[in-house]
Amino acid sequence: MKQPARVELLQGTLDVLILRTLMGAPKHGHAIAKHIQHTSQDLLQVETGSLYPALHRLEAKAWVAASWELSDKGKRARYYRLTPAGRKQLAAEQSKWEMFSRAMGLILSPVDQEG
Amino acid sequence: MSSFFRKLGWMAQRRSREEQLAAELQFHLDEEAAERQENGTAPHDAHAAARRDLGNLGLVLEDTRAAWGWTALAQFAQDLRYGARTLRRNPAFTILAALSLALGIGANTAIYSFMDALLMRRLPVADPQSLVVLKWHMSGKKHARDSVVHDVSGQINDDPRLGQVSAIFPFPAFEQLRQSNRVLSTLFAHRPSRKLNVIASGQAEVTGGEYISGDYFQGLRVTPAAGRVLDSADDRVGAPPVVVLSYGFACRRFGDPARALGQPLVIDNIPFTAVGVAPPAFFGVDPSKSPDVYLPLHADLLISPTRDPGPVGRYIDRNYYWTEMMGRLRPGVTLAQAQAALGTQFDAWVAGTTTNDVERKNLPEFLLRDGAAGLDNLRRTYSQPLYILLGMVGLILAIACANIANLLLARATARRREMAVRLSMGAGRWRVIRQLLTESLLLAVLGGAAGILFAVWGIGFLTTMLSGGQTFTLRPELNIGVLAAAVVLTVITGLLFGLAPALQATRVDPMPVLKESRAGGSRSRARLSLGRVLVVSQMVICMLLLVGAGLFVRTLSNLHSLDVGFARENLLLFRINARQAGHRNPEILSFYNDLEKRLAALPGVRGAAMANSPLIGDGAWGWPIVPQGQREPEHAPNGHGSGFSRAATRVLGVGPGFFSMMRIPLPAGREFDERDRAGAPLVAIVNEAWVKVNLGGGNPVGQRITSFETSAKPQQLEIVGLAKNARYDDLTGDFPAIVYLPAQQNPAAPVDEMTFFLRATGSPMQYAGPVREIVRQADPRIPVVGLSTQTEQIEQEMAPETMFARLCTAFALLSLAIACVGLYGTTSYAVARRTGEIGIRMALGAQRGTVVWMVLRDVLVLSVVGLAISVPVSLGASNLVASLLFGVKPGDPTAMAAAVAILLAAALAAGYLPARKASRIDPMTAVRND
Repeated sequence: MKQPARVELLQGTLDVLILRTLMGAPKHGHAIAKHIQHTSQDLLQVETGSLYPALHRLEAKAWVAASWELSDKGKRARYYRLTPAGRKQLAAEQSKWEMFSRAMGLILSPVDQEG
Repeated sequence: MSSFFRKLGWMAQRRSREEQLAAELQFHLDEEAAERQENGTAPHDAHAAARRDLGNLGLVLEDTRAAWGWTALAQFAQDLRYGARTLRRNPAFTILAALSLALGIGANTAIYSFMDALLMRRLPVADPQSLVVLKWHMSGKKHARDSVVHDVSGQINDDPRLGQVSAIFPFPAFEQLRQSNRVLSTLFAHRPSRKLNVIASGQAEVTGGEYISGDYFQGLRVTPAAGRVLDSADDRVGAPPVVVLSYGFACRRFGDPARALGQPLVIDNIPFTAVGVAPPAFFGVDPSKSPDVYLPLHADLLISPTRDPGPVGRYIDRNYYWTEMMGRLRPGVTLAQAQAALGTQFDAWVAGTTTNDVERKNLPEFLLRDGAAGLDNLRRTYSQPLYILLGMVGLILAIACANIANLLLARATARRREMAVRLSMGAGRWRVIRQLLTESLLLAVLGGAAGILFAVWGIGFLTTMLSGGQTFTLRPELNIGVLAAAVVLTVITGLLFGLAPALQATRVDPMPVLKESRAGGSRSRARLSLGRVLVVSQMVICMLLLVGAGLFVRTLSNLHSLDVGFARENLLLFRINARQAGHRNPEILSFYNDLEKRLAALPGVRGAAMANSPLIGDGAWGWPIVPQGQREPEHAPNGHGSGFSRAATRVLGVGPGFFSMMRIPLPAGREFDERDRAGAPLVAIVNEAWVKVNLGGGNPVGQRITSFETSAKPQQLEIVGLAKNARYDDLTGDFPAIVYLPAQQNPAAPVDEMTFFLRATGSPMQYAGPVREIVRQADPRIPVVGLSTQTEQIEQEMAPETMFARLCTAFALLSLAIACVGLYGTTSYAVARRTGEIGIRMALGAQRGTVVWMVLRDVLVLSVVGLAISVPVSLGASNLVASLLFGVKPGDPTAMAAAVAILLAAALAAGYLPARKASRIDPMTAVRND
């Protein structure tokens, strides 16, 4: 049952969210999902069913790299970190998204912008 | 690209990646559960919730694998493994299917490699695309000789669309076009020589040559392998006689091309010097010939000075057609532009050569043809037979495909439950089709690979058959193009026979199928009808091939039982040409006479005779000979050629005792003997056909006749004998009109080549050695040519018909076998499906005969439908091979009836086995089984 307060992820946004999340330290899949959820103040919920395919897709594109490491609790977990190519991709995607959200904002709430 | 290799790397460690993915997801679940437990959920509930949150684990795994990017590849590998397993499980089916495909694909590949070599290959010279061949044509039914074309030396061919087509021109036309055209960068002339006696490094050999104008090699852009090519300084009257040798000849005679340079050669008794050697791949411009010596055009004045129309005449006569021409288009000039420009020039020139109104109305029209592949003599000879063969092997492949499709269909029905299970488990229909197609492609690849092996054998076999002993200039081979064609064919056949059954198999509604009992009756009428359509079409194809085989077999038996008019048994024949070795009149006559006596004296030889031409397969001499007082007929053939009309007089010069030796009966008059020598009264023997044409019948002995040979004055001769009809030139058709003259009296052309006939006791070939030895003793400069038995020579003449009869019979039997296997398979399958029904019928009292009949009735219905379609189809199709038949009409009722009978018998035999099996069904078992 979905909570009404949450919004569905737009097509193609998950990749950029993952890349952004990995800007800091390397994280495993579960941590990435939680990070996105917390940072968006629970507005965004990442479906596990799409998270792992997305991670593997990014890995195939060499935007992230993965390695097995020990988690905080001492368990083996697959950690993902941003590669230089991923960083470049993120920069490009980020400016695109900023432009897009600004444009959306301008059209949807022109008063706010004027004010 | 790098991502491709990364994926490939992952592919290699696929198993470990699967494990890693499982571990990764397990970690996620543990983490989620731990988090929920921290929030106060009971451990068991926390795990369940985490699991719920993750959703469909299988789907997540599948989606993630998809991200790895090689799902398609992995699925393909999986399909391949599955397909291989299925094929291994049914070895009988697999072997049968792969074998029939191999035969089909192999036969197609072999025939295609011939088409590739004989019909499509380009000349091995630089930029062959810009080469053009110059020709003319004359439409209408008029004979070419009713025109400015007064005399010819070369070929004029009949073309259904263009009338008479030829590539020979008067020499002045060549000079005119060469000097004044603006569309060709080069124009050169050439003509094949007659067989030449070439003595090199002490060894005589009779071989082919080509007369070429000075710019032939430059025009073709051929650079010599050694020495130099001929140039215009070599090609003029009085130039030192030089030749360029073929690479093969230079190696054969001198061991090395470089060593051939400067070597003396004697060609037809004229000394020449070798100045160059052509490159290894070069064979001239006509793929049907490969000359060993290239002589300057004007060297023919040295070699055959007396040829018509006189020594220099052929170079200035504007109505004597003999020179062939090829050229190269200037860059940027199209074939059409060049045709227009050269056509205008030729029209103007040829208009100036007319002498009367008939000629002015019937002018040759200029034609320019693409010359990339050289002259088309070979293509003209082989294109029709090759297309017919390709048609046949195409039909065989079609039959094989239909057969496999049919077997697959039957199997698809057997696999209906499997398909239903797969589809109901959620497999996509396309996914299942893809898997079935992979299976059939795998089968096709098996067949294709075996087919290529079969093709290698087939090419060798066909080369021997088609060439009839000669060597092909263009050797068929499995080159890239041919292999590509085989691969494409394999894929196409795989899709062809796989697609319909795959579509059919997956078009199942799972529920009823799953509910059905295993032995239950089928409700799929579509499958039945498709299977039936396939069987009927196989029957039609089979019938086509059977009718073809019947026609060719009848042709062959007609040819074999042909009356040649003379006794061909135990006859050895060979040709020699003493004139080419320097013998001249009158010495040459006594030379030949002595030779004949020595041959006749060989122990075991019953007699020897000579004539100035073989009787079969080497054309004929002919000129007008009519009863005294009649005028010379116009436009009668004059010279040596093949295929003169039956009524035209053919002339054969023969030695004494020829008729008794050849066993040609003389109903009236006498045989030539020693009396009929030079200086004695001129005599002739005529045959019955000549008497019928010229005298209407009766006994001609004692009558006088007039001979009009162009190079001599008209001569009066007395008929001293009447001969029964015998063959001369062709094997088929009505007997021709022949006048026999004594070779000794030499009435016209100088004595030249002579053919000797030896009647042996026992096998004639045992005298081959002694014959060569006798000729060598007489004059070592004279090679023996065409040594064979008369029977062999006649067989050789029938080689194309023999080949067609054998191939077509083999093809027909092959297709019949394949179709029978198909019919057997379909019928057995139908019986297996109706086991329950048959059991009930038998339990209710049906007799075995009734059951057999029930099954056979189906087979009969299919056969009758097949025959109803195929009889009119094969009647029409057999017209395509009409030109290759002899003594039998395309719609020959005997061949048709035989084909129908064989097909019906084979169909019933194929149907009877399953029918008998059906009649042995034990009712109890069958009924209980359900």
